[in-house]
Amino acid sequence: MSDKPDNNFNGPGDFIDLLERSGYSWPSAIQGLTTIDKASVLQGTTVLAFHFKDGVIVAGDRRATAGSAIMYERCDKVIPIDDYSLMAIAGVPATAFEMARILSHNFEYYRRSQLQPLSTEGKIRALSKLLKDNIGLALQGVGAVSPIFVTYDTKEAKPYIYFYDLLGAQFEIQTHTATGSGSPVIRGILEYENLWGSKTLAERNLKGAAQLAIRLLQTAAQFDSATGQARPEDKIYPIIASITEKGYRFMPEDELAALFLESTKRK
Amino acid sequence: MFDEPFRWMEAISTRHSYVQAKLKKGQPVLAVPYQGGALMMGFTAQPGKIFELYDRIALGSLGHPADVERLRMTLLDMAHLEGFNRSEKDVTIARLLQFGIAPAIKQNFEEVMRAPYLVKLLFAEIDFDNQAAFFRLNYDGHSEMFKKGAVISGNDKESEWIQKQIEQTDFASLSLEKALIEACHLWEEGKKQGAPESEDDEDPPVGLAEAFDQWTLEAAVLSTETERKALYRRVTPDEIESLKTAAK
Repeated sequence: MSDKPDNNFNGPGDFIDLLERSGYSWPSAIQGLTTIDKASVLQGTTVLAFHFKDGVIVAGDRRATAGSAIMYERCDKVIPIDDYSLMAIAGVPATAFEMARILSHNFEYYRRSQLQPLSTEGKIRALSKLLKDNIGLALQGVGAVSPIFVTYDTKEAKPYIYFYDLLGAQFEIQTHTATGSGSPVIRGILEYENLWGSKTLAERNLKGAAQLAIRLLQTAAQFDSATGQARPEDKIYPIIASITEKGYRFMPEDELAALFLESTKRK
Repeated sequence: MFDEPFRWMEAISTRHSYVQAKLKKGQPVLAVPYQGGALMMGFTAQPGKIFELYDRIALGSLGHPADVERLRMTLLDMAHLEGFNRSEKDVTIARLLQFGIAPAIKQNFEEVMRAPYLVKLLFAEIDFDNQAAFFRLNYDGHSEMFKKGAVISGNDKESEWIQKQIEQTDFASLSLEKALIEACHLWEEGKKQGAPESEDDEDPPVGLAEAFDQWTLEAAVLSTETERKALYRRVTPDEIESLKTAAK
């Protein structure tokens, strides 16, 4: 309980400042480490997001890989950050999960301490800043993360999708985006569906949007070994989440199992 | 001056009287369980009595706003650092109080040359088995735990009466609406019970209708019915509007 006023650089309510004052520091580039092949650690996944009628669908497969080895088949790559924000991760899991934890605490700490939620712009920049702080490790190829960030602005009553590159540049996405090694396979399908499908992506309801997400991830897994197929016999399904004016919602397993069955049958 | 034990005890006693006098008009804040979690409520002339502290912890307060704010920020820092460095499950009121602010407040209170904290704090917590617990922290660092609910008030008589009623009421079986109505009635009756016998220089007790009219009802819940990680939510203006009709 210091008597000194809080004169931290980023202003009051900044959890990263608080962390740094407690001795935490983000790892910098490793001295003496030669750059490694980024492709071997970067892109072993498929995550996607697109606007639908009531908000945004965010989805991801469940496989985690290390080179050509399958390490884990139940990885959650869509992570809740606060009640109205989700982050879908592609890249090095250790870095991505740490970023998600910092971001989550940062948003909640700000909301609770300042008695108002962080603005959408503030949320978007917070992730950009983390990625910029991570440039050293990203360029060395051992800590690169390329996330999708989705949030619902309750004041504007409008959802936003942002795609980030490894260095922290952010791009607002109007329709759809995908990242990870399986993403080239499905980006064309998303564009095709949006332009010439029975309905544009933004006109689809939750069920239609979730069905498309399931089919896209199954397709990506067909061509990309680092994207995991669903395994209903082991109760492994992709993660399907939505963000609407009510906040985020992860589709529960029983609902997902029924929808998966329906989605993967030929009409 | 304070090297003689009597002088020091006298200084502490004066300090108690000083703080109690400063807190005398602090309005009650009640925290009780209900069917779907825990409820915290209180009427206030100036908003800023009830806060979210962490995912499963709510804070109620009375006293000097600057002191409340300083302690609130300290608790927020501790809770969020602990939740980040360890786990959300390691953030509990018992730990925040016992190993955090209670010893610091006691030390502050007994350092008679420093300004004391003019506060009383109330905490509600829902654990990971969805059980509610309630804590009270006094301006001298003394903390207590309650299972059936707790109250803080600047008026000891008022506070004792409300606490006794809370212990005798089965709040845990009530819906949110009924728990709110019951808490409002306890608040109103507590004001009457705590009123001084002589009305020479004191304000008369404030009734519910008057309180709704002139003050703000601050109320929040820790809801076990939400799917969210953070259980805290403010009671909505619509819920308060329907309460006004039902409680009168």
